[in-house]
Amino acid sequence: MKCKRCGETAAVKLPSHHAGFCPDCFELFFKRQVETAIRRHAMIAPGEKVLVAVSGGKDSLALMRVLSDLGHDVAGLHVHLGIPDSSDPVCARTEAYCRENGFALHVLRMAELGLAIPKVKDAVHRPICAVCGKIKRHYFNRFAYENGYAALATGHNLDDETARLFANVLRWDEAYLGGQGPSLPAEGRFVRKIKPLYRLTEFETAAYCFLKGIDHWKAACPYSGGASFTSHKRLLADLEYTSPGQKTAFYEAFLAKGRQHFRGEGNDAGPVLQPCARCGYPSSAEVCGVCRIRSLVEKAGA
Amino acid sequence: MITVTLGTNNTPATFEKIKTVLQLLNNLHLRVNDALVIRDGELLTPDRHLRPGDHVAIRPVVSRG
Repeated sequence: MKCKRCGETAAVKLPSHHAGFCPDCFELFFKRQVETAIRRHAMIAPGEKVLVAVSGGKDSLALMRVLSDLGHDVAGLHVHLGIPDSSDPVCARTEAYCRENGFALHVLRMAELGLAIPKVKDAVHRPICAVCGKIKRHYFNRFAYENGYAALATGHNLDDETARLFANVLRWDEAYLGGQGPSLPAEGRFVRKIKPLYRLTEFETAAYCFLKGIDHWKAACPYSGGASFTSHKRLLADLEYTSPGQKTAFYEAFLAKGRQHFRGEGNDAGPVLQPCARCGYPSSAEVCGVCRIRSLVEKAGA
Repeated sequence: MITVTLGTNNTPATFEKIKTVLQLLNNLHLRVNDALVIRDGELLTPDRHLRPGDHVAIRPVVSRG
């Protein structure tokens, strides 16, 4: 197979684009997809500081790399979860990558904040992935807000976004459908949330990392037991295999034609956000979910 | 004979009568964009031919949390 742009031997085949690309042309394709996402959804204004949520996996490190290569002012934030035999090597690998590539990286250690995930897991009787996600979202946003970042960028890709959209459609979850998209505007103490990789698949970010020599963490979280939406991703992969381009069409058509019908849905009936009595960040209750989790951990350890 | 390492599994498997990357992926019940296929540091597209003695790494791309 030949590269669609230059005619050299292709390294990557992309059926959804009816194309194959050599390494250099694939990098150009990848950067252009990110540029298009940023431009179409007004994700980053010139000169704005962007905080990248860096887990150490392929998507977040690819995001850091491509945003930097596109000239954006980026820094990373890694949340050290305090999970034995996992968090230390993931953090070390992430720090090494950022150091070698000249990226600023901040690390928040959950153990120092009273929220080491193993202790949270013992104290909270809910699925740990949901609780861990809530804690990470809180601290990513909080760090970005308190340190003057205009936007928080996450490495969600097309597979993540279409799986989530599919799950929301299966439940016809009006509030979630109204709020889903690659860019959520800033509001109060919430900074703007952006997903610059939303036009790229997991395969494409994995290929980009390989070709750029990005040494990302590959092992699964020991607590995950399989990532959420995995079965939905499998269904959509089957659909994509028989009809290349369906994932992009599904998601882009939702953004263009579907989302508007759900805007505002659920807001009237939903809770009014107020500052958490303890941390001051937006909460639907007097005390926010993260502060309540911390209380449970303290109580369990007392 | 083609030697294949799948994911982070360090125990390689061997395959006879495999001529192309696509045949190898089919044999492993993987679709074209389910995994990176790497030989000697090079990414291979499904149409590429494999030769006896090749060592190939298959790296699935789906996040596992």
